[in-house]
Amino acid sequence: MKRRLQFALLILLAVVLSACATGAKFTEVNPDLVSESPNMGRIFFYRPSAIGAALQPDVMLNDEKIGKAISWGFFYVDRPAGNYQCVTSTEVERKVSFILEPGQTRYVRFTVSFGFFVGHVYGELVDDSVGLEEIKDCKYIGQEKP
Amino acid sequence: MSCAFDVAHVSYHPTDLLPQPQSGKFLTIKKAMKITGAPCGYSRTLQEGSNWDLIGSIPEGNVYKPRDQVLTVECSNVYEAYLVCVSQSLVGFYLPVEQGFVALKKAVDLPTD
Repeated sequence: MKRRLQFALLILLAVVLSACATGAKFTEVNPDLVSESPNMGRIFFYRPSAIGAALQPDVMLNDEKIGKAISWGFFYVDRPAGNYQCVTSTEVERKVSFILEPGQTRYVRFTVSFGFFVGHVYGELVDDSVGLEEIKDCKYIGQEKP
Repeated sequence: MSCAFDVAHVSYHPTDLLPQPQSGKFLTIKKAMKITGAPCGYSRTLQEGSNWDLIGSIPEGNVYKPRDQVLTVECSNVYEAYLVCVSQSLVGFYLPVEQGFVALKKAVDLPTD
């Protein structure tokens, strides 16, 4: 019985780890925090937890797919100043809306909440100081070379 | 981690912002203040020493945008928010993306300079 439990835990651990981001850490990538273009802003997206790691919803920014919310992963995009809505969908759709100004940097953190059948992954807008601290241990999962 | 099985919505109504760009007027929160009357029971804290710039007005009051902290209101979804004040009292939140007003259940006096 004990061996079966250990085996199950090992399988679970393997599943969780395989669902987490792999790649260079934020501190190794050391990306610029501000967009190079003065008319653009930079938005960082990150998920600093392994909870619900199997859930990896697409991240939609104003109806455009820009990445996935993967545990311990981060990526960023540069966008013109304006109104933005970030949407993640599991069994329900969750949105976070915010303003982006020229030269501004914003941090969107993904968190998991309990759902009816599966968990919900939702974005939260956080203070720069909080985002910059929490993102340090996340790994780069963006498509573009930083 | 929070718990929410169903989708609940922030109730807001559309409103028109009359901008006052670069008004030079701002509020400073003298002492950290927890706001408990926000939608869906989520509390929000205005940080000690945070500055809020007057950017305009709506029929419900003056609108102050945070200079050094992020403010949101949320139910199932999360919305960036600014303060709406009448004199020194916080009466609700302005949602800049949705251009809407969310009323607090009860106005609260802000600890400002």
